[in-house]
Amino acid sequence: MHIIGNLSINLALILSTYSFIMFVFGIRKQSQRMINSAKGAALSVFILATISMFLMFYLLATNQFQFQYVYQNTSTDLSMFYKLSAMWAGNEGSLLLWTYILTMYTVMVVFSNKMKNNPMTPYIGAIISTNTIFFYLILAFVTPPFKTLDFVPPEGNGLNPMLQDPSMLWHPVAIYLGYVGLVVPFAFAIAALILKNIDSYWLKITRRWTIIAWLFLTLGNVIGGYWAYTELGWGGYWAWDPVENASFLPWLTVTAYLHSVMIQERKNMLKVWNMSLIILSYILTLFGTFLVRSGVLTSVHSFADGNLGTYFMIFLAFMVIFSMYILMSRYQMLRQDTGQIESVLSKESSFLMNNLILVGATFAVFWGTVFPLISEAIRGETVTVGEPFFNTVMAPIMLALMFLMAVCPLIAWQRASLKNVRDNFLIPAIFSLAVVALLVVYGLHGAYPIISFILIMFMIFTHIAEFIRGTKARRRSTNEPVLKAFWKLFTGNRRRYGGYIVHFGIALIAIGVVGANFDQERVETISPGEAISIDNYTITYEGLEQRSDGVNTVIYADMDIEKDGQELGYLQPERIFYRHFDEPSTEVAVHSNLAEDLYVVLSGWEEDDSATFVVKINPLVQWIWLGSFVTVIGSLFAIWGGRQNKVVPRYQGVQRQVS
Amino acid sequence: MKQNTKVFISGGAIIVAILILMVAATPGSTGSEINLEEAVNQSERYENRYITTEGFLIGDSIDWDANNVELRFDLEDDLDNTLSVYYEGVQPDNFSDDVIVIVHGYLHRDGVFEAERVQTRCPSSYESEDPEDYDTERHSDMLRDSDE
Repeated sequence: MHIIGNLSINLALILSTYSFIMFVFGIRKQSQRMINSAKGAALSVFILATISMFLMFYLLATNQFQFQYVYQNTSTDLSMFYKLSAMWAGNEGSLLLWTYILTMYTVMVVFSNKMKNNPMTPYIGAIISTNTIFFYLILAFVTPPFKTLDFVPPEGNGLNPMLQDPSMLWHPVAIYLGYVGLVVPFAFAIAALILKNIDSYWLKITRRWTIIAWLFLTLGNVIGGYWAYTELGWGGYWAWDPVENASFLPWLTVTAYLHSVMIQERKNMLKVWNMSLIILSYILTLFGTFLVRSGVLTSVHSFADGNLGTYFMIFLAFMVIFSMYILMSRYQMLRQDTGQIESVLSKESSFLMNNLILVGATFAVFWGTVFPLISEAIRGETVTVGEPFFNTVMAPIMLALMFLMAVCPLIAWQRASLKNVRDNFLIPAIFSLAVVALLVVYGLHGAYPIISFILIMFMIFTHIAEFIRGTKARRRSTNEPVLKAFWKLFTGNRRRYGGYIVHFGIALIAIGVVGANFDQERVETISPGEAISIDNYTITYEGLEQRSDGVNTVIYADMDIEKDGQELGYLQPERIFYRHFDEPSTEVAVHSNLAEDLYVVLSGWEEDDSATFVVKINPLVQWIWLGSFVTVIGSLFAIWGGRQNKVVPRYQGVQRQVS
Repeated sequence: MKQNTKVFISGGAIIVAILILMVAATPGSTGSEINLEEAVNQSERYENRYITTEGFLIGDSIDWDANNVELRFDLEDDLDNTLSVYYEGVQPDNFSDDVIVIVHGYLHRDGVFEAERVQTRCPSSYESEDPEDYDTERHSDMLRDSDE
């Protein structure tokens, strides 16, 4: 078995190297035969990666503990889902998954119908295969997934309890799909530069790739936050940990990119900027992986595995130098016939501002993340910046973005007049002020939250105003019924309205984030029969119980919940004793509605049955999950079906004999 | 003024605003990350400074006062430096002997570390136990358990 495994890795390493060489020589010699051979090799690499994946899944499912990876990450008593999810519980497996996705994307691009007879294909193939080669080098020499032990342990180490959570089945996969997805637009961008194609073809054809990568990054981050919230028991979903920032950074730059490409398509501006953004996004995915795997920063996640980080650093440096060189050598060409901004008060310039803010945010997060490294290098002292730094910097940035999102849809392209701005904004502004005034009456307080809510509401109302105006305009010309006109409006321009739906989702998420200002917490030790009061809630502890869940033992507390004297039922915060781990793990109990979450953690108990509870009121948290859901719908709406998405952009760049 | 210039000026203003924000936010939120050796031997130097340090938890030193929600414990490093920690809060998950504990807080003159946050490093994912430490007895015990 391990022979097949190792063979699939080593053979794939050889073939991906071969594929790269053939792409390069095929381009040099303009030989279609060589290019075809390179494509064939890329397909074979994908097949080999599939074999490796299946084999690993099989080994995990059947408890083949003579394999070190299986031994270290599973045990016989795990459910099948968790056995399989151990695929991404460790370095070896997660890198194999990464490589698999990469080879799959390669095949999807190189053999795509849209790319037939397109001279960019060999270049793209060559660029992506440098990545494939790198990952296979790691798999073959640094973290071999199919390493065997010289004895057969009867039982494995088990999967880390924190990873035994449904969100952990999806979080890593989503992050990888997002991370790896950025390779594709990057490869197209570099290929366009090498070929000296300065039109917008590369960004049009990769639009869906980019949105899908963005969608997966969003999902990955949100699921990660959800996992932290429900599994870790500290009551939050985001802590600005380096590992979290690592996946947030490319999200920010891709968000900027998705907006700035629109200016290039319409106005032929910002070509260098867009190239730089996509290169930066790709580089940040490598940087994130470097941070996560090298252990250079203190994080609650320990990923210490000495060498791996160094290899990523080398590859990262190589890719930075390579893409910078290509970009610089084409710089003058890209600068030619650039459009001009005609008015400060225009959609173009508001997009530009949004981009600057997002890139500024990226820089701020990056700075905060690597600050300990910089200070260590300069002053020999490791100075950390904590959560307050990120919150202080990012809160105004978020508000500025809200404001731009509110204003942007209503500003015309080219040039907007002050009068039409006034016409478009007056009513939404009045509405949002009215809503927030109502909230203040109901107890909203604090300058920051009030300003935030005004801006968020303003954003929501300007979007609604835009929908109403669009529907009205449509009805004037078609006389359709309202709902039909509304639906047609949306489906007629999926990209635009999908984007607006995403804005909506972001607004809902923002509502949840602002809610964190009003968190309340109590930590108390009480005996059975006693109660904890927090806000309007009274939580009575009735006693400890025990039950078994498969091979694990669960201790839980029965908590009777009342709000304003009204009975709401029971919550059962748990601590689970997993079989292979001495210490129990927290399982949070949450009672939620749209207004707030009542979050209860059983933190421990004494011999006399008194127990210590952490009880939190987290207002508006549900809006975050709701908003994320809307965001996903919006992104899917933008890329799914519709006339717009069927249009294949026509290649008008340089022609070559090979494709 | 040319429109592009206006745009550049407002863009520049944004960048400057973000930089100012960052500079303004830095002093209030910085701390030092030091090792246990420094925390024990140079405590005066770091007085009143927000500190992050980490060490191995000494299981026997855990003193938990449930009624007042006060936690006391000692951390040690490979060089036998020991740091006493005081924390008004609950034990995090996985709080057991020899686990790496990260503490954030302030060092007091008497050498006691008053923590504002206590975390255990998740024994995660990308780092597994060394199979060389394989303990036959423990596993045969487990197997026997599962036969029952």
